[in-house]
Parts: sequence; C-alpha cells; structure tokens
Amino acid sequence: MKIPFNINSRIKELEVKPNETLLSALRNNGYTEVKCGCSEGECGACLVLMDEKPVNSCQVLAMSVRDKKVKTVKGIGTLYLPHQIQKAFVKAGADQCGFCSPGMIIASYSILKETENKPTKEDITRGLDGNLCRCTGYVKILEAVENAAKTSLTEETKAPEAVCTNM
Amino acid sequence: MLPENLEWKFPSSAEEAVELLRRPGAMLHGGGTRILKTNPKGVKLLIDVGALGLGYINYIDNAFYIGSDVTFSEIVKYSKKENKIALLGEALSNAASTPLRNRITIGGSLKDFPIWSSLYAPLIALKARVEILKDKPEIYSVEDYVLKGVIKTKHVIRHVIIDDEENLICGVKRFSVLRFEYPVFTIAAALKINGQTIKDARLVITGVKKRFKRFIKAENALKGQPLGDLPLEGALRHINPVFIPDYKFSARYKESTARVYFSDLLNELTEQIKGDDENEDSVQH
Amino acid sequence: MYKYVNKPVEKIDGLALVTGEEKYTDDFIYKDMLHVAILHSGYAHAKIEEIDDTEALKMPGVVEVLSYKNINRILYTTAGQGYPEPSPYDTCLFNDVMRFVGDNILAVAAETKEIAEKALSKIKVKFTVLEPLLNFEDAETSEVIIHNGDNSHAMIPVYYDPSQNLAAKVEASVGDFEGAYMDSPKKLDCTFYTSYASHCAIEPHAAVTFLDRRGRLIICSTTQVPFHVRRIVSAVCEIPIAKIRVIKPRIGGGFGGKQEVLLEPVAALVTWRTKRPAKLTYSRKEVFRSTRTRHQYRTTFKAGYSEDGSINALHLDALENSGAYGSHALTVLSNAGSKTLPLLNKIQNLKFTGKGVYTNLPTGGAYRGYGATEAYFGLGQIIDMICEETKTDIIEFYKKWTIKPGETSPIFQALGEGKAGVAMTIGSSSLEECISLGLKESGWYEKRKLYGKDSPLNQGRFRRGIGMSVMMQGSAIPEIDMASAYMKMNDDGSFNLLVGATDLGTGSDTVLSQIASEVLDTPVEQIIVNSSDTDHTPFDTGAYASSTTYLSGQAVKKCAEEIKRQILKTGAAMLHLGEESVEVKNSSVTSKDGLSGVSFEEICRYSFYEKDQFQIQATASHVSPKSPPPFAAHFAEIEVDTLTGIIKVLNYAAAVDCGVPINTTLAEGQAEGAIVNGLAYAIFEDFYFSEKGKLLNDTFGKYGFMTASDIPPIKVILVKSFEETGPFGAKSISEININGALPSLANAFYNATGKRLLRAPFTPEKVLWALEN
Repeated sequence: MKIPFNINSRIKELEVKPNETLLSALRNNGYTEVKCGCSEGECGACLVLMDEKPVNSCQVLAMSVRDKKVKTVKGIGTLYLPHQIQKAFVKAGADQCGFCSPGMIIASYSILKETENKPTKEDITRGLDGNLCRCTGYVKILEAVENAAKTSLTEETKAPEAVCTNM
Repeated sequence: MLPENLEWKFPSSAEEAVELLRRPGAMLHGGGTRILKTNPKGVKLLIDVGALGLGYINYIDNAFYIGSDVTFSEIVKYSKKENKIALLGEALSNAASTPLRNRITIGGSLKDFPIWSSLYAPLIALKARVEILKDKPEIYSVEDYVLKGVIKTKHVIRHVIIDDEENLICGVKRFSVLRFEYPVFTIAAALKINGQTIKDARLVITGVKKRFKRFIKAENALKGQPLGDLPLEGALRHINPVFIPDYKFSARYKESTARVYFSDLLNELTEQIKGDDENEDSVQH
Repeated sequence: MYKYVNKPVEKIDGLALVTGEEKYTDDFIYKDMLHVAILHSGYAHAKIEEIDDTEALKMPGVVEVLSYKNINRILYTTAGQGYPEPSPYDTCLFNDVMRFVGDNILAVAAETKEIAEKALSKIKVKFTVLEPLLNFEDAETSEVIIHNGDNSHAMIPVYYDPSQNLAAKVEASVGDFEGAYMDSPKKLDCTFYTSYASHCAIEPHAAVTFLDRRGRLIICSTTQVPFHVRRIVSAVCEIPIAKIRVIKPRIGGGFGGKQEVLLEPVAALVTWRTKRPAKLTYSRKEVFRSTRTRHQYRTTFKAGYSEDGSINALHLDALENSGAYGSHALTVLSNAGSKTLPLLNKIQNLKFTGKGVYTNLPTGGAYRGYGATEAYFGLGQIIDMICEETKTDIIEFYKKWTIKPGETSPIFQALGEGKAGVAMTIGSSSLEECISLGLKESGWYEKRKLYGKDSPLNQGRFRRGIGMSVMMQGSAIPEIDMASAYMKMNDDGSFNLLVGATDLGTGSDTVLSQIASEVLDTPVEQIIVNSSDTDHTPFDTGAYASSTTYLSGQAVKKCAEEIKRQILKTGAAMLHLGEESVEVKNSSVTSKDGLSGVSFEEICRYSFYEKDQFQIQATASHVSPKSPPPFAAHFAEIEVDTLTGIIKVLNYAAAVDCGVPINTTLAEGQAEGAIVNGLAYAIFEDFYFSEKGKLLNDTFGKYGFMTASDIPPIKVILVKSFEETGPFGAKSISEININGALPSLANAFYNATGKRLLRAPFTPEKVLWALEN
C-alpha cells in the first residue's frame, strides 16, 4: 500500500508492505544510501534519524513510522552541501570502505546535537556503541567526531533529491 | 517472517487496545525490536501502542510512574536530568546500543523478557510494580508478574510504578566481555538503611536458568546487621545462582563470576555507605 | 621532497561515501530483476539422494531452480586465484555431497526475495546422512574421507592426496635441524592453537547480473578479484570470456573474504538461462555460515638453543584445518612458514613442515595475515620463552636476530606459493628504529620493571603486564602477480587513469592517483581514476597478498612515466627545444632555464589538433621480482582480572615500516584497522560448533564485535624506509599489523602472571584455566 512518509524534509508516498521493515521500504524505494549489514539491529549500517533520534531501520516496522520525520544520511548533508561531520570524516580518514559511514554519520551527528557540540570521549564512544566498523579500528572515526565538535554545527541543510541511478 | 497481509491498528486508548487484543492473532507493537528478532508465528494483527499516550514519566506521591511506551533512552535521560531512579538509569544506559535504546520500550521489554534483559534485575531490586489492563486495571509486583504467569496473558501494560525510597543504596553490574553484547547476567543490589543498620536488602540476578533469582537467604544475612560490620562473606555464601551452560561459558564459570560480581558490588555499596557517613561527619564537624 | 605522495591526501571517493552517493553491489536495482536464494545444508556430511522441487516450481513467481541435477558438473576452486590455481579443484557450483553445515544444496530464482525464500521451504531433499569428521587433528587417521571418488585434483604439480584427507602438504628445510636440535644444550617443544574467524566486512557478499543490449553478461559483484571472476565464471558457467564483463562497484570491505568466487557463478547462470537480471545477496548468517573463514591452526615449535639465548635449530610444524574444500589450503600453509621464518634469518638450521587437512567444517580461505598471523602466535611466544629462560633482553634479541638490509634467508627460495619461491635480498628495513620507537612509546623498560610476575606491586587480583613481538609480511607474490595500468591525456590537461586494481575501501584509487600525480607533477584532482572493469581497464590480479600499492602502484608509475616522456617530447617540439632542455613542472613543460613553457592543456590541444596529431597515451604492466617485506614491532600493555579471567588491553603501540607510505592517513588507517581486528581475534573471536558441526555464533551479536567503546588507546608510528623496487619507495601495509596482537598480548600475560596462553582466543575461561595450570 502507499503510505505518506516525511523523508529528508519532503513528503513522499512510499509503496510499503504491512510486514516490511523501514530499511526494506527505504531501499526498495530508492533510498539505497541506507545500508544493510545484518538485518538484526547489530551493525548500525542502516541507521536513520526518526524524529532526530538514531534508530536501526531494520528493527522498525515501516507501518509504525506514522507522523514521524525520517532522515537518511542525505538529509544531513549531500555531496554538494556536505555537513561538517561528513567533511570531518573525510579529512580524518574515517572513511575507508564507506559501508558503515552513512550509519556512523547519523550516529555522530546525533552525538554532536545531543551534546551541543561538546561531547566527552565517553559521549562519543557510547553514542557510537551501535555502529560496527571493521576497516578503521575506530581510531580515525573518534578523531573525526572530536574534530567536528570543534567546528560548530551548521544549520540544518535541506538535501537535494536523492536519485537512484542505474548504470 | 510476519505475514504479508498483516493488519495494523492504531488505537487511541488503552481500553480500545484491550478490546482489539481479544481478536485472534492480535499482538501489541511497541518499539518493534523484539517482534523482528523473534518472528512469532500466527500473528495477524499488530496493535501499535504509540497513540495510547503511555509515553510519560510522572512523579506522584513519592512514586515514579513510567508509561509502558517510554524508551530506555528516555528513562536514561530522565534519570540523569532529574538525578532520580539512578539504578534503573544506569542499568538501561548499558543495555543494547544507542539506536536500540531509542526503540526498546519498558513495556515491550517487560512483556517479552529476553534472558539477557538488563531491565528485570534493577526493577526487582527497586520493588517495582506493574499496572496492567485486562478487563480492569490490576497491579502486580514485577516478580509476581512473571511468577504468577500474568506475563503470558493478553494484556496492556499501563506503567511501571517505582517507589522513591529514601536511604536506599543500590547498584547494578552487567557481565559481558564487550560493550555491545548480550550480557551473560545482570545483577542488582539494593540496601535500605535505617539509622545504623540494614533494614532491607534485595539481591537479584537475571540471566540464570529460571530467568531471574532473588537471593533471599543472602538478603536475610544482611538484614538488621550494623552498617559498620556487614557480614558480606556470610551473605555471599548464599549467592548460588543456577545457570545454563552455553558455548561460550560453562555454568560453573558463570556461577563463580556471578559471585565475584556480587562481592564487588556489595563492597562498592559498603564503601558508598562509609563514604556517605564520612561526608555526614564532615558536615557535622 | 615529494609533492603528492607521502601526504595525507583525502580519499577521492570520500565525500561520496560519507554522503551515501556511492553505490555498492546490492544498491543496483533493475527492472524485472529476479531474486536468488540458496538452500544450505543442515548436515555436516550427507549425500543428496533426491531433490523434489515440484511444489516449489508450481509456486507463482518461481522461475528457476538450479542444482547438481541440471547443471554440468565442472570442477573448480572458489579460491579466486591466478591461473592455474594453487588450490585444488575439489568443488562444483552445486555438489551432490554436502561437506559442511552451510554448503550449497541448490538455488531458487523468483520474482521477489520473499517468494524465493518461501520456495526453499517447499523443496524436499532426501539425504543419506554420512558420518562427519569434525576434529581436524583426527583427519589423517579418520575413516571418513571427505573427497572420495569425486575426481578432485590439483592443477599444479604439488602434493595432493584427498584419500588421506590431505588438501595440502608443504616441507622445506635449511641446514640440519635434527642434528642441531640434538646438540643444543636447551630445548623447547611447544604447541599452540589458533581459531576460526569470520572476516566481518560490514557489507555482506552480493552479486548482481544482467545482460546488456547485445546479450553480453554483466556481473557486478562484491569481489576483490574482478579478472579472476571473469575467468572462473566463464569456466564454471560455460560462457565465453568475450561475453562477460565484470564491474566492481564500491566494496564494503574484503579482508580476503571477497577473494572467493562464490555468488557470481550462481547469479550469472540464472541470468544466462533466464535472460533476466538477477540478484543474490547473502544474509549476515549466510556470510558467517557459508562463505570462507580464517583457517584453524595447530602449530608446534621445536627449538634448540644455547644458554646465551642463541637459537641453533627451529622447526615449525603446522596443521591447518582447511574445512570442506581446499581453498587457499596450500598457500596459506606455505605462508605460515615463508612470512615468519625469514624474520630470524640468523638461525642456521630451520625446518618447516605443514599439512592442510579436509574436515566437515566451514572452509578456510584468504584472510588478512594469511598464515602469518597463525604462525606468529607461537613464534612470538617462543622467542619470549627463550629470552625469559636465558635472561636475554627480548629487545636486544630481536635487534640482533632479525633480517637486515642486504641480507637474505634461504626460506625465501625454499617456500613459494605452490612452487619454489623466489630468492630475495632485503632492500629496505627500518625495523631497528621501529623497535626503538615502539619501546619508547610504550614505556617498555619502565613498565617491564614495574609490572612482571615477581613485582611486589603486581600480586593482587588485577595484574598488569607488557609484552611485545616483531613481525614481517610480504608485498605481492613475486614473479606471479601482474598489475597493469592505462593512461591517456585529455584536452584540459587532465588524465584518465584506468587500472585493474581493486579498491575494497582501502583507498587504492586514491593512492594510485597520487602516484600518477607525483610522476606528472599535476594535482590529484587532475587524475580521473576508473578501476576494476574488465571491459575498460587492463588486467590486474586483484586486491590480495598486500599487493596493490606496491605492485599496481609500480605499474601506474611506469605508465605515468611513459606519458611523461610523450608530454616532454611534444612540449619540447612546441617550444622548439631539445628534450634534454625541458622538464615537467606544475602541470606544464618548461625550459630548464625557466624562460619558456607550455601547459599540459596546450600540449594536449596541440597533440589533438595541430601537428603530427596523436593521443598521448600509455600502458604499462608490472611483475615484481621480489616481495619486499614490511616490518613492525608491536607493544601491548594489559591488565588481567585473575578472578574473572578478563583481559583488558590498556595500551597498544605499533611501529611499522611500510617503506614510504604513499598516503600517510590511509596507511595509518590500514594499521589501526588491522590492529583492532587482531585484538578481537586474540581476545574473543572464534567459531563455536554444535556436536553436529553447526556454527552456533552466526550473528554479530553472538560472534562479538568490538565497538568504539572497546578499543584501547592505539598509537601507530610509521617509520619510513626506502624500497627501491616499490613506487616512490613504498612497500605494503594492509596485512602485517594483524599479526602482532596474539603474541604481544600472550607475552604481556606471561609478564603479568608467569603463565602462558597457548590457545587463542583468550576468553575468560581459558585465561582462568591458564592461571590454574
């Protein structure tokens, strides 16, 4: 069935099955920036913001997302208008394979927001406790979040339309 | 896998939810994290509790009323901000992961009670009660809620009630090798102090064979004892949890480690009592 | 000295990765795409008697069922290596014998994933259950033969005897071990065990296939080896190579796990038969159960040594659990010797013996470290044992006994990859400096004194210790691996760089651009990289054996140098100067006296439109005559809870010689990632099986995974050396640093408690067991 969703500050009608997870609904509707690493709520690659709180979209049934605002990584910043945290990830080398990055960015963005850009080390490690990364060993990710905290959060950016391109 | 023709309802009152729950294959939906893990069979109707207005934490007459739709994150945040129900706040701040804590609700977690739950031990130590709605409202202690089989009946949880007890020294510990891992067990201890003696003690563990256990004999060993000279060794002798061995840990290892954890926790609480005493002393001088 | 290399250049795909723009295999969605699901064996060992798929085929939406019944039986190896593979041909796309829990029975292709998965439950398979062989130490004497009469065979002349469950056997000897061992005043004989492990790349394995407008098969997959995929799919699916194009999109980590060619032939065959796009993406459970793993190992070290700590004789005997199939069985085994024993080249009498055995357990494969990790666990500890026993300073021991520039080890020649190795003299090493800097960073001598099993400060419940170890690896497979590059110039002075090299997230696209930039003295932004597309890029063996920077980098360097010659020639002609009086500088050709010059843009325009028109373009290939080892010294400080057996890592320092790091940030990142992977492997990563051979911990939650909260402070120090045979002095860094955690932690444990940890991982119960015994 078609259900209206508020995604990245736009109202979108998505084709959703009653037994479908938010992750599956998003990916099937072209929001492939939300990644699937485990479908068990254990890796964090599928994180999205729901009313500004990070959640594992694989652990949310799409039908229960009524009246809530969903944001993917593109709702935080885009290639053309990247958010401070995204720039910090690239600068620090926190982006190796990049598969965990959309989820890591969501979690990091939320840490900065919750702590008003003044996270303690504990705030950061705890805020990232649902995001797995095999490439970096987290060293550069922690560095990136600390660096981004030092530069102030920019205003909420409106993402251009995400386009699912075929080859 | 949930069926493709699954029906959804979004009732706006608990009574309506109870009514809907009578239908065959009906099940409540809170945060949704458990239903996606367990994939229960025969579910035809999901009743979303999001619109029931159960997302409150109220403080009335020296008691906390935590609505069943409150997430772990919200409890942690409340606990930190108000500096209240610290035991529950600390236990839940270590449960699962940040994004999961944003979805797991206290009601859902109570009803499903996974063996690795970090919720039950602190609730039992805090003598929490749970108010449910079937035909009429009923209130049970969290222990009775499980032991009397209420947990298995169809009902809507309204809220969890926790008395704001004074002079309660308490702590919680969770055993896992990694930060984000199913804990092997969680222990909680609460010591109620009256003057210079222990008035009441609650020592609880979850993750054991029968889900949870209170160590009544160990509690009795502490009750009425003077604060300055608590018979910890005597109490620890009665810490004898029965575990199911798994591929990572033998039952023997879990048991001995649980005892180490209780010993650590009780020692920490004793230190805390001493510390409080010293602080009071310094104020008096 | 350098302008574009040896710099912390940002990844060229970085911003696209962190904004979710980049596409990975599963992100490709096509109209009318079929979804493939695989039915895996629940038995560790069973013969399929009958497959009844009538009910499944009746289901609306089910399009195709593939099993041994309707495909040609073509033996191959999934190893994803060069041709002819050193791994035995011992499997088919679908076999009629199931050899481990998780083995592939059949595939269903359907209109949706849900239908495909539902169809699996409708298929009735009748088995004759066979007795499984679940303990690799019993393999040689067991009555159970895993590959019995299935025509399994080796492709190269190596020892291979499936009738004895032997997937591989390697022997090499230098000097006279037996004699020297007998004559040694002191002897040591010690056995170690290392565990299974999953690669845990966060992106699960996936393959998407479709036919292009002319009916050619396009394969887009999570592969480390696109060219090997093309060759292997061609052979297994009987499709001509000319009809196949393999494209590697972004890859979500590999670590060796995506070298295996497992999913591609299945999806390819579905598409080839149905003429429709097909997608096969594994669930996390399938990745754990059915893809490849790190081999389980038993290593036994025998050493004969003297009172002064000199080692006279050393024998390493390795037993490798290859699992159900022999993927990488031979080469991981030989690397267990060839990447470890040359480190201590002063030992005159060396012996290496190894066997890889079949069992009914998950199949091993390539995994970062590739045999070296398994062997260093024991080697790093026996050095510590000998030093402790003879009161030798382990730091001095390593400084004295390790291989130096200008030196060689006969092992290099004795142990190759399926054939004799390549003799090699060490050209570069800053190992001594690594050791010095590492011990300074870790506070080695102070802590060694403070901690220690006899220190009065270290007798309580929590005991601290510090331990170290030294290691080497290699850079590419000498005289076997080949990489190539193609470059052309565009009329704004930018360049297209086409490489077969495969960026798995390691950043090799960026590293290779930097190399081209350095040669041409032009910004990295001017190099447009296109990698890993078998139609459009030249051949490269792929991303394995720590080869990309060193080998593909050298191919790019050669290619860029040829471009530079053409640019110089054209520029000189434009300036009416001799080639000897001009140079390339700042994206232009200038006269050496600095008086005249033409920009790259002008040069390309000229070459396109003005005179003697031609395309400035070049291609180059590279094969390395040697595999120069990177070196590292790792230092670990731990705290042991003697009541619970929990080991907490307090600090970890690694000083690494990777030659000249081309990209300093990415090189550090490789080291940090490998260290944390190594720590996890040392502390808890393992496979737990049921009595019937079923993997029990097949989710991240059950397997365990370190999060940012679990890592200790980690300090990586890159210590430069200059490798003449590498691009701008570079060697490899991707694998070596996974080798240090096991021996360093175990040595720290001995320092703390006086006990040895001989079985990894060091789970709390094993630690308590070690403390009690």
